[in-house]
Amino acid sequence: MEQQKKEKTESEKPRYIRAYAAMVLSRTLDKKIVSAQRQGRVGFYTPTMGQEALQVGISMALEKEDYVYGYYRDVPMMLHRGVPIETIINQIMGNSADTAKGRQMPSHYTSKAMHFMSVQSPVASNLPLAAGAAYALRYLKKKSVVVTTFGDGATSTPDFHAGMNLAAVFKLPLVFVCENNGYAISLPVERQTPVEISLKAVAYGMPGVKADGMNFVEMYNAAKKAIHDARSGNGPTLIDALSYRMGPHSTSDDPSKYRTDEVKEGSDRDPLVIGEKLLISMEFADDKLLEKIRNEAIKTVDEKFDACEKIPPPDPMTAFQDVYKNMTWMLEEEVKDIL
Amino acid sequence: MTSKPMNMVQALNSALDNLLSSDDRVILLGEDIGIDGGVFRVTDGLLAKYGAERVIDTPLVELGIVGMAIGMAIQGLRPIPEIQFQDFIYTAMDQIINQMAKIRFRSGGEYECPLVLRTPYGGGVKGGLYHSQSGESYFAHTAGLTVVTPSNPYDAKGLLVSAAQGDDPVIFLEPKRLYRTAKQEVPDDLYKIPIGKAQVLQTGNDLTFITYGSMVPTVMDTVKKNNLDADVLDLRTLVPVDKNAIMQSVQKTGRIIIVHEAPRTGGFGAEISAMITERGIDFLYAPILRVTGPDSPIPYRMEEYYAPNERRIMNAVKKVMESA
Repeated sequence: MEQQKKEKTESEKPRYIRAYAAMVLSRTLDKKIVSAQRQGRVGFYTPTMGQEALQVGISMALEKEDYVYGYYRDVPMMLHRGVPIETIINQIMGNSADTAKGRQMPSHYTSKAMHFMSVQSPVASNLPLAAGAAYALRYLKKKSVVVTTFGDGATSTPDFHAGMNLAAVFKLPLVFVCENNGYAISLPVERQTPVEISLKAVAYGMPGVKADGMNFVEMYNAAKKAIHDARSGNGPTLIDALSYRMGPHSTSDDPSKYRTDEVKEGSDRDPLVIGEKLLISMEFADDKLLEKIRNEAIKTVDEKFDACEKIPPPDPMTAFQDVYKNMTWMLEEEVKDIL
Repeated sequence: MTSKPMNMVQALNSALDNLLSSDDRVILLGEDIGIDGGVFRVTDGLLAKYGAERVIDTPLVELGIVGMAIGMAIQGLRPIPEIQFQDFIYTAMDQIINQMAKIRFRSGGEYECPLVLRTPYGGGVKGGLYHSQSGESYFAHTAGLTVVTPSNPYDAKGLLVSAAQGDDPVIFLEPKRLYRTAKQEVPDDLYKIPIGKAQVLQTGNDLTFITYGSMVPTVMDTVKKNNLDADVLDLRTLVPVDKNAIMQSVQKTGRIIIVHEAPRTGGFGAEISAMITERGIDFLYAPILRVTGPDSPIPYRMEEYYAPNERRIMNAVKKVMESA
């Protein structure tokens, strides 16, 4: 029995190491982009630090055939899902290798190959889309689950209500993950809504789960159950993933105007520190391995960032394509005047 | 191909029936479209024929209906959502403008959003200010949307089929005042009328009427009753508008009257007028005139004063014909 348990745990080891590596890679990339932005090499960015564990925990529970209708802070999840780091960097650069051809401001990623829907800016408007996607996938007899992510500010929008209600009414294979990082730009979550976000699920007759989003193992377990329920036809779940936005809302934001940093990098509540402690206590890793993972991440990020930075900007013509499948005569005429 | 006389409601129903039966990816969704058959009965009988998974009665949430349809389209279906009255569409405008219209562009062409958003618009049913609006300009101003409005049963079916079989999102505006006013011989099977092509309903030499949707019969009746020697263009598609058909007629007559039900300021007539002057001012013998709804909400009891009528159209005719 003890032996069996040990073997089972041992087989899980690569999965946990990979999760930690994705968190570290994301954190490293995050810091690289922020510093590049300060040097004028990147226009804008919405950092994700603090939300690595919650996203990687969700991603660990997803299968390849599943879909994510995410938002602009989902880099850790994308990296863990297998989206190449170049896809993220090229999007940030808006260069000719960007999947969206440099059309969207930084942090608005697209990866159809990895089932990551392109990100919009208006908060929460991906939720009704996710409901439609879940409906379609079930209709097409696929076993896929859709996960949709959003911040705590999103819970005040009509789109949140619409998405939650539709998912519940149609009992869709959909999991709602509130990346509750404590702030919607400057507004603290206590002023966003007077109840705990997980309680909102009650109004739609779906389970509402509160999970420690700073602990990737706890997030993984919460997500596993919700995703299993969704896949089994038991309908949607709302996960309130309690975390903290350790950086500013964006590189244009100065959080010192409205808060003090409650979670500092390297402190006991940093999801990476928590992750390291978990791996060590499970005997999955030692300091040496963790150090190696961190060094590899730095090397990867530096190399890839430099390579992507050299890629030229898109052809100007691409700024006007893909509005329709075929360009309208009006736009053709207008483009002639511009180019 | 068999055919029968149908009004616009029946022709649209026939189009939806054909589309549902010929393509499993087609799904209808909206308020009261299932068991009730739609408040105007356009989807009558389709729930019984195709089941609740494909003809979906949704909760009362326009932004949710539109948002869900977008998600379905992204995942490979061909949804045809209905908004019960165009007046109720505004809570879904963020979904329409920021999602539907921009999916293809913002994803670098990786994703597309093939859907047809059907909605009845305009007056004619004594619906007052919240059941009578003509909001085509809101949609025409958004790149990424195709805007279509039929004026008769035959076109309604053929245009709806084209819209549903295309690869871009289409706003399909159904002039509710014409839903049951006329019958035409309409084929029972699928047929298409191309998007982006106007129809010349009548040819003449003195002047040109450019109109669409709900005002087409009003213009045609006026032309016939007064024996006007006029070209009458039914645009059928507003975006992309049929530039060639418009300019051909402009070159021939040089006197242009644009007629639509929507308010004048910022209305689609302004766009047509600008387009004509930009590329054909030398052909004009008179200022381009617009006969439109006024810049006021559409009233309930006094509705007959709102939409253009014969008297107002003939006043415009006198003005353009008197110009040198």
